[in-house]
Amino acid sequence: MSVATEAFVPRPARIIEARPFTSRERFYRLALDRPLGHHPGQFVMLNILGIGEAPISISCGPRTDNILEMVIREIGSLTQVIAKKVVGDVLGVRGPFGSGFDLDDFRGRDVLFVCGGLGLAPLRSLILPVLAERERYGRITIISGCRAPDAELYRDELRLWGAMEGVEVIRLVDSTDHQPWDGRVGLVTAPIADLEIDPGNLVAALCGPPVMYKFVVMALAARGVQSNQIFVDLERRMRCGLGRCGHCQINDVYCCTDGPVFRLSDLDRLPEALR
Amino acid sequence: MRRAIVATEEATLAWIAGLANERLVDFPQTGPAGGLRFARTSPDDRLTFADYRPTVLPPGKTFAPANEVLFTFAHQADGSFRATPIIDRRPRVLAGVRPCDLAAIALMDHVNRDGDHPDPHYLARREATTIVAYRCSKPCSDRCFCAAVGSLDSDEGADILLTPVDDALLAEARTPTGEALMADLDGTPVDDPAPLVARHRAARPQPFGRQLPGSPDDLPAALERSWSSPLWETHTARCLSCGTCNLVCPTCYCFDTHDEVDLADPNEGHRCRDWDSCMLPEFAVVADGHDFRPTVASRQRHRVKRKFEYLQQKFDSRPFCVGCGRCGAQCTADIDIFDIASDVLKQHGGTP
Repeated sequence: MSVATEAFVPRPARIIEARPFTSRERFYRLALDRPLGHHPGQFVMLNILGIGEAPISISCGPRTDNILEMVIREIGSLTQVIAKKVVGDVLGVRGPFGSGFDLDDFRGRDVLFVCGGLGLAPLRSLILPVLAERERYGRITIISGCRAPDAELYRDELRLWGAMEGVEVIRLVDSTDHQPWDGRVGLVTAPIADLEIDPGNLVAALCGPPVMYKFVVMALAARGVQSNQIFVDLERRMRCGLGRCGHCQINDVYCCTDGPVFRLSDLDRLPEALR
Repeated sequence: MRRAIVATEEATLAWIAGLANERLVDFPQTGPAGGLRFARTSPDDRLTFADYRPTVLPPGKTFAPANEVLFTFAHQADGSFRATPIIDRRPRVLAGVRPCDLAAIALMDHVNRDGDHPDPHYLARREATTIVAYRCSKPCSDRCFCAAVGSLDSDEGADILLTPVDDALLAEARTPTGEALMADLDGTPVDDPAPLVARHRAARPQPFGRQLPGSPDDLPAALERSWSSPLWETHTARCLSCGTCNLVCPTCYCFDTHDEVDLADPNEGHRCRDWDSCMLPEFAVVADGHDFRPTVASRQRHRVKRKFEYLQQKFDSRPFCVGCGRCGAQCTADIDIFDIASDVLKQHGGTP
């Protein structure tokens, strides 16, 4: 049997844009040697050879060019080194990995996005293709919450999206932290009770910190949204992206290959999923 | 046409030792401190099948060693890099592999061939290796429970299968590679090896090793029912989360990676793959510190469910626990997966 020998080898990706995005995150645009060919919700393993690699969500929609966009929080040894990288520097990329979202699950339906903190970055890879074909979807609602105003991602885009016909954007912070703020104060669960939604025709996509999911799911359930209408994009430790290193396992499924996007009803039998 | 011969034990051992003239040969040998381990042989080594007891590490680990280089890299003047996979295709022979370990290797072959991304490092070593297996006549330790989990008669993956019959060995070539290798082994040709294998089996003790209080086929369902059982706390109260059970398990394959740079030229280096352990506290911790398996009990439950539920369902296979008894024998707190599986069957087996 002949097997490709490059499973673990990253390919070069040159930084063509790098800038601070929030108080804790930076925005990166990379140019790869060939198109990534990803689906919404997929991720890459991002490398600095000599330091290591880590899973990073793709925040741009599917593209035909060689561009890859990401939002990276300085949180570990690798991302601290990446934060010092500038335009022209080369990172390593493996992937794309994971199942991702299927646009067919959303077409013809009202769509609700619930994004907590950094969760907007991966969900943007789905929001962009949905908004690009606005006419193929029903009413679109984007709830985006973060810790404080200076932690808000994609502020300009959220405002632009909110100005689109049939798109409602609800921006929240946990606390204004004495900063100027033109959105609401509260958790992403708060607006769900008052949303004008048709529970029978809604599809929701959720991404945020681990603690967020069960409360959003409870709020949606209270509105009559069934678990087969909800998709969650989960975070786990990942060391390979190939369904083998074991770190991302959720009961018997591998988050990196079976997910990271799951239909909630498929998680009912996995008690480790939404802990 | 597969070849089968009856050879003397002496001739067989000399033949195995002689294979080291042209290949890397690993065979269970006693080390300087008295422990048995699979070690590289040289042609004049005096090998023996006698006094076998389980090696600390199972032989299949040779295909995915504790630390290995996945690729080397060199940063370039233009800021880019070159990365070169390291693939080990040296021909080798793994001899004296017992049925439980053979079963484990067959499972690891499935795991590493699976999916869109077969593992090139494991498979290169595996495909360059000829396996000479050796059937057990008696339990190799008081921890053994291979018969209870159905691995005692495993033969999948063997190129040559040696079966002790009376005072001699039946040698069966199971693959063309095995047949070619066996050309140099002198013995008496056998047309029908089945009666000899039956004689070997009839001479084995009954029952063979420890027996579970129920069928292993009931374990996946029993484990599913055991999710909230207090037995996980009971069996892990003294667990140190050291991960020894993972390291010695023939079907544990979780790993981590790390980079090493050349101190003389930090522009060059390599990425290593190292065994990891789902029993270690930080195994399922994500970047922001959230731990998806924060208690010892949750980690032990995960390990046991991998062996008797998750992986066998994912790969539609036999249990991933092959009953070798190593994890129990090596456990720093004397926790035995046999006892856990037994309690799961007793408390949660049968019809719900």
